[in-house]
Amino acid sequence: MFLTEKKDLKEIDEALSKYKKIGIVGCASCASVCLTGGSREVKEMERHLTASEKEVTFTISIDEPCDKRVLREDIRFVEDEMDDTEAVVVLSCGTGVQTIGEFVEKKVISGTDSRYIAKTEHIGEYNALCGGCDECRLNFTGGVCTITLCPKGLLNGPCEGHDGVHCEVYEDSECVFMKSYKLLSKYSEEENLNRVFFPRDYGLLLKQIKI
Amino acid sequence: MRIIPQIETPASESYASFEGSLIKIINGMKKSGLSGLDGPEGLPSVVLEQNFGINTLILCKDLKDRYKNLNTAYAFNMRDKNRISIISDLMTLKRIGVKDIIVSEGLHPLKTMFKAAKPVYDIDVFGLALILKRDFMNSLHGIDGLDFFNLGVVIGASTLADELKAKKLIKTGVDRLIVNYTGENPDVNMVNYIKSENKEVFLYIKESDIKYPLDDFIKSNEDLNIDGIIVKVVSEKSNIFTQYFEKNEI
Repeated sequence: MFLTEKKDLKEIDEALSKYKKIGIVGCASCASVCLTGGSREVKEMERHLTASEKEVTFTISIDEPCDKRVLREDIRFVEDEMDDTEAVVVLSCGTGVQTIGEFVEKKVISGTDSRYIAKTEHIGEYNALCGGCDECRLNFTGGVCTITLCPKGLLNGPCEGHDGVHCEVYEDSECVFMKSYKLLSKYSEEENLNRVFFPRDYGLLLKQIKI
Repeated sequence: MRIIPQIETPASESYASFEGSLIKIINGMKKSGLSGLDGPEGLPSVVLEQNFGINTLILCKDLKDRYKNLNTAYAFNMRDKNRISIISDLMTLKRIGVKDIIVSEGLHPLKTMFKAAKPVYDIDVFGLALILKRDFMNSLHGIDGLDFFNLGVVIGASTLADELKAKKLIKTGVDRLIVNYTGENPDVNMVNYIKSENKEVFLYIKESDIKYPLDDFIKSNEDLNIDGIIVKVVSEKSNIFTQYFEKNEI
């Protein structure tokens, strides 16, 4: 799931100051799970905008606003209202906001801050485990990502700042390399203990982006 | 056993007073025989650390001009430099004749006064070892002769993960390992392992972590199989070295 957080309403109000007729799009996937863009949050936004003397032209929750195929199907339900809309508040991650913006060709305003790919522990409690870095090394680390879980994103071993157990930055947590080495030993993958990883190729990230 | 002061350039405009204090330390080290300006080939006499103060390369050049035989080491961390910046530093260091480099991953910005800064960590210490010892970026022009450099890497001590890191660094070809000396006792097993691999090993300690006068501290570590102790000077003016010089009338 991609974790989002609700934006401060002041920022949304400021972004909407020039617009009167507003549509609201929610995300029934990730943003719904993290309580930032489900149908309840869409209703809340509608109440807020109405109270702020805006005219809400439509509300809709789309299963995956980041998927253009789904978006194309679902947005037809508000096609007529869209024509009469000046700006759209999108309660999804940044990918959803931009996908909608490109599709509807209207001013879009993000109602959330995008954070990270998250594991859901409980509703309201999330953890980052994967940074989507394009060079997955999980097969060699005992299944824990040192790039994401080490605050320095190191590949080859702990920094000099740990205290023998704990991470220099996350002082209550075990250094991820200690965890990785325990898992490698558990799975009898001693050969990976001595593996030297070459520096990452950040150029790979750019190859995915089309503007 | 050599005692080597490590000092970082000041994060202020008091460069002149800093330089004066540094010269006092260097001269005192020479007179005391703890370190010295004309030490054995390959061992630095003073470590100059780049943190967020004045550019340390300038200071290295300055001291090289002032003391022909002074063997300075340049210390920096991976937090602040990407591979482009590091290559630039290597070219500059080679040009001014500084061959000893000491690297660490570096304290995370959250633990510094620049909490909101974006950390770099483009490459880790292995990345630099691969560049210097395995010609990892061999397609680059203008950096021939990287074997000119002696690479020292700071590592933690006491855990299996540190031991494995030391092993991997030795395999990658680093010249020296500098073992953090944070607790009451140094990690003797780590020291002996590194020496058994015919690599130089130094201990690294902040002067504020030394609980006794410098001569007592040196005596307590005399039996260790190490090449030296790098002592990080925290206070440029009143530090463990100046106290030692005063006590011994140096």
